[in-house]
Amino acid sequence: MPHFDPTHAKPTRLLLALASLKLTLVGLLLLGLSTVVVYQREQSATAWLAAPLLLLAFNLMAAVATNRVFRRQMPLLVFHLALIVLVLLAVAGRMTYLKGQTELTEGAAFESLTGMQAGPWHGGRLDRLHFVNDGFEISYMPGPVLDRNVSRVRWKNGRGQEQRGEIEQNQPLVLLGYRIYPTSNKGFAPLFLWQANNQQPLLTAVHLPSYPANANAQAQTWRPPGGTADIWLSLNVEPDLIATDRASQFRLPTDRTLVLRHRDIRYELQPGERLVLPDGTLEYRELRTWMGYRIFYDWTIPWMLAACAMAVASMAWHFGKKFAATPWNTAPG
Amino acid sequence: METELRILWAGIICYVVGGSMAIGGVVFKKRPERAVLALIVLGWLLHTAALALRWERLGQGPFVSMFEILSSNIWSLVLVFAISYWRLPAIRPSAALVMPILFVMMGWLMLSSPGEMHFPRAFRTPWLYIHVGLGKVFLGATLVAVGLAGVIQMRRTARGAEWFQRLPDDKRLDELAYRYMAMGLIFNGLMLVAGAIWAQDAWGRYWAWDPLETWAFITWLLLAAALHVRVTFKLPPRLSSAMAFAVFVVAFLTFFGVPFLSNRPHQGTF
Repeated sequence: MPHFDPTHAKPTRLLLALASLKLTLVGLLLLGLSTVVVYQREQSATAWLAAPLLLLAFNLMAAVATNRVFRRQMPLLVFHLALIVLVLLAVAGRMTYLKGQTELTEGAAFESLTGMQAGPWHGGRLDRLHFVNDGFEISYMPGPVLDRNVSRVRWKNGRGQEQRGEIEQNQPLVLLGYRIYPTSNKGFAPLFLWQANNQQPLLTAVHLPSYPANANAQAQTWRPPGGTADIWLSLNVEPDLIATDRASQFRLPTDRTLVLRHRDIRYELQPGERLVLPDGTLEYRELRTWMGYRIFYDWTIPWMLAACAMAVASMAWHFGKKFAATPWNTAPG
Repeated sequence: METELRILWAGIICYVVGGSMAIGGVVFKKRPERAVLALIVLGWLLHTAALALRWERLGQGPFVSMFEILSSNIWSLVLVFAISYWRLPAIRPSAALVMPILFVMMGWLMLSSPGEMHFPRAFRTPWLYIHVGLGKVFLGATLVAVGLAGVIQMRRTARGAEWFQRLPDDKRLDELAYRYMAMGLIFNGLMLVAGAIWAQDAWGRYWAWDPLETWAFITWLLLAAALHVRVTFKLPPRLSSAMAFAVFVVAFLTFFGVPFLSNRPHQGTF
């Protein structure tokens, strides 16, 4: 049982029970079980980890408040305080984080996220996030195995000046605290000028499924704005566009003919050609690429890193001091 | 590749002969300790040369294929154990229990394909060396701890007590095993932190619940719980040494079982 400092008021039984080392073991066991559940069943980490982490946090706080050992042993106190800070930061991080994906056509600016997850207190500076996909270069090793994925991006700095750069794995773009990474999700994007009857012309792109992951399914169904029927479109990509037996690069297909089907009528369009449909006029401008980006925000990360470093350093300090005081072969068992 | 494999097998033969001498020394109550240390060091030097030649030939470190992971871990485990063997003469007979564990890994290595694999772009960062290096120290510390724990467990039998009578008493060995486990806890913690920093930089998330990182965290929790139990309940050496065994088994399965069983155990690996 923990020792109580007599210079302070007498702790309640509840506080002493909460400070118990046995409860720490229960907390560690529950945390381990929750970890297995989250991993095995792919359940929500927050829901499963919250209870054991809170139990451990209260246990640690009660132990620090009631146990004199922590006042005598500074490294042990620092270690446990760092753990408490870690738990609090983890909670704060879950309340304010954001993660999501977006797909941008070459030349297009970021507008919104798809598949977004965010904590309830996320500040919402996403509307101020602005960057443009200026294309990419992807190299493959034989296989093909993705080797390097470099995305060229453009953005404005805090003074409104335009900046250009390249981002890849290990080298994200960081804007307003949001970290932006290119993904292996990318493909072809036919660019159309669509003018619905009696409407203004609209420049738009249709993203075909990710390539080469869906090399044999380069087709998409799309309903143009103001249209009354879907357009099915397909791009016939040559099978050896990305070589399997040698190093190669992602590139646009040589034949960029699009096959379209609208109301059971088949059409073929070359870049620059127009198609007059009952709903409006469709002009196939050119074939571009699109790139998928992952966007992540969590302000707690550097603080969590500092708390982790503090916890590990103080643990090393504690054990080092303890073991240096008594050689192992003379230490009491 | 032929040359580096020949050098590697020569190194493994040295390890096996050295380890066998250590076992023979315990069983027949001889003390071939200098010869054992010399063979282990010679084996390690040959192993280092084989790894260096492979690194030079491929232009990438031993971090990707099962052959490379096993080889580099045998190398680091032998290094940690050899330092302990050299610095702590009193525990040298524990080599008779530690070396057979390494023999299992060496057998597995011989059955693995030495072919090369693609080195992912995300691996071209100093964090790879920091993360992997810390993990190797952690596993090395738990290996030494499990050797000491093995002695305590073996001494529960009449033959084991006779074989390992030269070592310090169980309480002393348990204390030393506890210190190695504490070192393991620190280095496992550092490995997890370094991995999280790397993952954050490389893939935009510091934790992804992939099999290897999840099991590495479970190992950390188990290690923390084992140390906590020892402090809380003042366990006798036979029980705390059993916990050291449990930690090593989970750590071993995490490092080698998960990459073997899972199709994609860890971000960036194959």
